Amino acid sequence: MTRGSSLYVEDLCMSFGQGPQEHRVLDGLTLRVDPEEAVCVVGPSGAGKTTLLRCLAGLARPTSGQVRYGERSLTEPHGDIAVVSQDYRGSLLPWLRVWDNVAFPLQGRGVKKAVRKRRALECLEAVGLPDVGEKYPWQLSGGMQQRVAIARGLAYDAPVLLMDEPFGSVDAQSRFDLEDLTLRLRRQLGITVVVVTHDIDEAVYLGDRVIVLGGSPTAVLDTLLVPLGTDRDQLSTRADPRFAELRTRVLALIRGERMPTGPEVAHQ
Amino acid sequence: MPWKPILRQLWLPALVFLVLLLSTAGSTSFYFPPLTEVLAALWRELLHGGLFGDLLFSLRNILCGLALATAVGVGAGLVIGEIRTLRLATGPLLDFARATPTVGFVPVIILTLGIGSGPKIFLIFLGSVWPILLNTISGVQAISPAVHETARGYRIPWPLRLRRVILPGALPQILAGIRIALSVAVVLMVVSEIYGSPVGLGNFILQSGSSFHVAETWAGTILIGILGYGLSVLLLLVEHRLLGWYHQRAPRVRSPRPDRVQGPDSPDSPDSVKSNGVVV
Repeated sequence: MTRGSSLYVEDLCMSFGQGPQEHRVLDGLTLRVDPEEAVCVVGPSGAGKTTLLRCLAGLARPTSGQVRYGERSLTEPHGDIAVVSQDYRGSLLPWLRVWDNVAFPLQGRGVKKAVRKRRALECLEAVGLPDVGEKYPWQLSGGMQQRVAIARGLAYDAPVLLMDEPFGSVDAQSRFDLEDLTLRLRRQLGITVVVVTHDIDEAVYLGDRVIVLGGSPTAVLDTLLVPLGTDRDQLSTRADPRFAELRTRVLALIRGERMPTGPEVAHQ
Repeated sequence: MPWKPILRQLWLPALVFLVLLLSTAGSTSFYFPPLTEVLAALWRELLHGGLFGDLLFSLRNILCGLALATAVGVGAGLVIGEIRTLRLATGPLLDFARATPTVGFVPVIILTLGIGSGPKIFLIFLGSVWPILLNTISGVQAISPAVHETARGYRIPWPLRLRRVILPGALPQILAGIRIALSVAVVLMVVSEIYGSPVGLGNFILQSGSSFHVAETWAGTILIGILGYGLSVLLLLVEHRLLGWYHQRAPRVRSPRPDRVQGPDSPDSPDSVKSNGVVV
């Protein structure tokens, strides 16, 4: 049984500022994410990826166009959608213990303390952190904090997990671990995952589909299917010729678009 | 083992006490009686005079005034800090109120409210509410946008957000405000009792001063100092208890260093323990 609904982005435009200072960031984006699908949105820095994700989360209102979750138009955060942001330091509350951070969204739903603590500890175990519940987030390393943020998303029990550059500020080794964790959770729990990233390799490694953004203002350049199956691992998948070919195609798409204005952006 | 830090903190106060004791010993100066005489007067007045009653009166006023100021200042500060329109509208008014010395209100308050306990509590409240209010407002604003967005994204209902996100997030600044308010409150407590009051520590030093009981005057002054110091130590203990997370976290936040490459994130590997900053 599939949980959750499809996410639809329809002709989404986003501008900041008004009048002559108006700056258009997103220009007519249309895309769709189906239940249990893993979709990566990749694009250069400053392409408005975070803005897109905030619209998907119902945290920002588009200037025009709309985001739908199933039949409902998303104008505010939805209980089916959990967000893991890049800034784990800011998004974990330093005055709450780790388990309390994970359980906090459940408290918002009125779940009793004993129940939410048990659930929080389960989710911490699922992300490979069985023994840190009683610590504070700032006592953990960056990679561990990001795991806690993911555990919080899981505890929320949302069918859709949105991740904004989730592994952008952790070290390389933790990053690989976290990517594999994301793949595993997705496989086990059958959740929909949308990852926004500037890292092409990561996008290809994590996604069933990769949506490439580019241009100024940003539009969808292309959508690529990733035919690598669901069982992936860091060594063999990255060595797969199809992996190499896909990443080259994504890079070419982004570079081809950005070449006239800023070739340095294409350097990953 | 616990002796060393205590010794390191106490040697100077002990030395000062000793110097004062020795330098005033045998003093024949009318205005600077021997310290022993002052302490004897303090003891005598506390036990047999009315000083203990004065102390209780003053203590009650300052605690009531501060409690009231904290309740109103934090309550209003949370609301004003959260609502932008209100913040902009109240800005000039708050700056004006802060810039007006509360001592200036003493004659008006005595005139309108009389000389009982109420007007003194009100005066202490009036003086100490501003630092608490202003600090609460800026504390609320200083909460990182990422925190707000998380609370919004996970649909945390408003009362819960206020209690577990905004209040603790602003708490470091709120407590700093209360600390400032405490020193203002001690001043106002004394002033409010010097003008038009038959009781209180302020009245005690005024009365004993104007009747040339110099030792008693000194004793009262010292007692006021002890009272102020005692309250600030108490506040420090409360702060330590409430802000454990803030003080322990601080060094790591001030000098953020890039996360080091390390093995699997096992909590018991020595590497991660070291980089966790658990021991501060």
